[in-house]
Amino acid sequence: MRTFGIYIMLALLAVSCRKEDETAIDGPDLNDLFGPFSIVEEIKISHQTVNFPVDGNVFYSGELSKNTTWEISITGASTGAQRTITGFDRILSIENTAWNGGATNFPGFGLEDAYIELVFPDEPEAPIIRDTVTIAGTKIDDGYFITGFEEGLGSNWTVFNQTTVAGSIQCGSGEAAKGNCLYSFAGAVPWDWAIGSVMIRPDEGTFGLPASASNLFFNMGFKAIENYGPTNSFILFWFDEDDNGDGVFDENTEDRFTYEYWSTGNQWDLISILYSSLKTDAEGNPVETAGNGLPEPAKLVSINVFFLANPDNGFSEAQVDHLIFTTNSPYTP
Amino acid sequence: MAKYLSIVILVLISAVSVGQQRKFQINGSARGYYFDNDLDIDDQLDSITTRKANYGHTLMDLAVSVFPEKNTEIIGTFRIRNELGGFWGAGTSFLVRQLTLRGVAGGVVRYELGDIDLKLTPYTLHNFEEEGMVNEADVFALRRDIVHYDMFYNAGNTWRMQGANVGFGLNFSRLIDQINVKAFITRQRMTDGLAVPERLYGGGTLQLVQSEQFNLSVNSVNIFDLKETIPDSIQFKNSVHSMHLAYAKHLAPEWKGGVEGEAGFSETRYINYSDTRAPEQMGDWFYDVGLNLQSQPNGIRIKLGYKDIGADFLSPGAQTKRINYEKYPGVFQQITNDAIGRPMSYSDVISGAAETSVRISEELLVYNPAYDNATPYGAATPNRRGTYLNVVREDTVGFREIFVEAAYLTQSRGTGTLQKKKFIVFKAGADVYFNDWMGWKNDLKMDLGVRFENTSRSGEAYETITLNSTMVDAGLTWEFVSNFDVMLGAKMLMADGNAFVDLRNRYNTIENFAIADVSFTENLYAAGLRYRFNERNAVSAHYQMFNIVHADAQLVDYGITQFSFLLSLKF
Repeated sequence: MRTFGIYIMLALLAVSCRKEDETAIDGPDLNDLFGPFSIVEEIKISHQTVNFPVDGNVFYSGELSKNTTWEISITGASTGAQRTITGFDRILSIENTAWNGGATNFPGFGLEDAYIELVFPDEPEAPIIRDTVTIAGTKIDDGYFITGFEEGLGSNWTVFNQTTVAGSIQCGSGEAAKGNCLYSFAGAVPWDWAIGSVMIRPDEGTFGLPASASNLFFNMGFKAIENYGPTNSFILFWFDEDDNGDGVFDENTEDRFTYEYWSTGNQWDLISILYSSLKTDAEGNPVETAGNGLPEPAKLVSINVFFLANPDNGFSEAQVDHLIFTTNSPYTP
Repeated sequence: MAKYLSIVILVLISAVSVGQQRKFQINGSARGYYFDNDLDIDDQLDSITTRKANYGHTLMDLAVSVFPEKNTEIIGTFRIRNELGGFWGAGTSFLVRQLTLRGVAGGVVRYELGDIDLKLTPYTLHNFEEEGMVNEADVFALRRDIVHYDMFYNAGNTWRMQGANVGFGLNFSRLIDQINVKAFITRQRMTDGLAVPERLYGGGTLQLVQSEQFNLSVNSVNIFDLKETIPDSIQFKNSVHSMHLAYAKHLAPEWKGGVEGEAGFSETRYINYSDTRAPEQMGDWFYDVGLNLQSQPNGIRIKLGYKDIGADFLSPGAQTKRINYEKYPGVFQQITNDAIGRPMSYSDVISGAAETSVRISEELLVYNPAYDNATPYGAATPNRRGTYLNVVREDTVGFREIFVEAAYLTQSRGTGTLQKKKFIVFKAGADVYFNDWMGWKNDLKMDLGVRFENTSRSGEAYETITLNSTMVDAGLTWEFVSNFDVMLGAKMLMADGNAFVDLRNRYNTIENFAIADVSFTENLYAAGLRYRFNERNAVSAHYQMFNIVHADAQLVDYGITQFSFLLSLKF
């Protein structure tokens, strides 16, 4: 019995040595919550001038005394493009502060100076760090670029304008969502919602898009300037597919998928549509088309961008820009 | 209501008639309790709260035990409660307080079904005491007992549950003396059919008594949600398994020494929770081992022990607090012109105005660091390790009981920092019977108790902690005329320092910390008169003054005076 008791004691002693874990803590770090803020290693920006396709990303490097919220605001001097990057870290590096030249929304950055401001909103005593970076080359978009209206009208495009409407490509106004040019609709049409449209077609064949619609997004910039608002004006898209592959779209036998986007205000909106979602309406019901009913981007032969506005409100004006397809996620300007 | 009364009368009549054949037994208790509360607060701070709150009730608990045959008992306790001021049935409630069927099947297996009281070990299933009492004076204990009785906080630290409990023992003639088996299953919660699954709690113990010198037990408790009681498939599971052993041996004619210990582990799972904060699985272990020395003739017991409770050790049956400090008390719930919630105080706990737990909770409830920062969840408080010493001396002339307890504990894992909190706890108390020395027949007893706790954490300025809290519990009970007692009591808490209060989510993960400037004094004084009709029946009147004074002028100082009258009868 005595031996048994000793064995039990030994077993207890064996478990009595809890291994010290000197790295784990329970809960958030008190230093982050209540510790003093200071800059341990000077915060520096990686580039004063950047050509994004060549130089890669612009980023900050440096070290703080604690994990804290930081916010980087980037503003284009000419375009007014905006980009915000936020985080909660102690170390600032390319891992968490990288800017690839993109904007949070339209308009995008052009060849211009970008004003950069780094702030620590939870640290009242922290300095505000300001830098200026000159953009010598804008970022190259990933995706299937359709048009930014920079090259004028395509050879197979069709333009429709009501008699009282001026619809055309405009360049150099400084108002483009991206680049220098955009397509503008402007005029009063008291008798009809239809203002004007531009039907974009490739020079030949299809747009060369991938076959899968399930991860393909169509994107476009849209800005309603006059007669805007969610009950006053909208863009109607037609996506025409050459189902039988004869090189001609027949609206009586082939698929025309449509999509409406109502304006939200008088700023640039980024419209992003998952191409596979075109087969259902807003309520999720299957839409009726004349063809096989399947969204097939590889067969897409034309995109019609149609601007419509409430005739009772008088003069209407809108701009569209930068049509691009992206895979896996919506476009980021 | 008339229907219920008819049933009670019928039961009584039946009981009386059958009672003559000794097939029933009636006992119970009754009480009348009246409170008059006055709030004392600066008129400029609070011009909207009414200053008076009066209420009271009378009630009777009628317990009927029926014996259908000699090994079976059916216990039914009915409570009729009438709120004072609610005439003609308004404010009257009639409820079943207990319904238990118990007996011995086949002369071997003991069983209980219905409302049952359960307890295993301090690390598995144990209803540990609330804060605020160290050898409490009679004038306070008398009223606290009412709360304990109502909440089923029985003397043996049991939890009242609903379910079934069976047990049996086997005696042996060789090698081991006895094996005892106990198993239970209880229903903790019923499903709502939508989002809350049915919850059961089951477990048991297997005890092996080798001899008077050595015994060993294996204990297990398990909480589990029943699948398919809701459309969703979420499931909470917690198991605690432990082994307890005790070995004792005579070291000298009057002295016995031994070793006693318990070790085990917990495992917790949150299955199919969509909330990403829910840890899929967590577990930890504990042990508590000590050396005992006792002398029965001298009334001395000494225990020197060491324990280590893991930071992720979760044992709802042993860690559920009786008082939920997150809630506000029932009386003067909001004060000041801003209608802020009034925090719970010692006074509220004694008066029964505090929110109390009726079932075990898988969440670690909020605690007040000034009241108990070292062991807020009892012996099974997670993330504690260290040494303790308990010394008790009983049955001496004058000092009928003296005890000293000391502990030095630390965290095993830092909270919010690698620096660990350190706790020093010292507790002492004595029952002093002056009449033993003076040769008086009537008691003149003084209850003395003190608890000191120091919490510290070193490190950078933003993480340091220094918190001292001292609680003094003192009282005097003098039977100045036969069966007539005058009772005095004082309870004082002085807390000074700072604390970081853990803010946990529903999965017991610390998500943030609240910095608390804990510098206040809480005083509670009481005086009372009691007349004891006999050992079980008494009438008493009490006057109690409470106030809280903060060092920080921004915090609200106030007081509550209370007059209460209690008639307590047992039959």
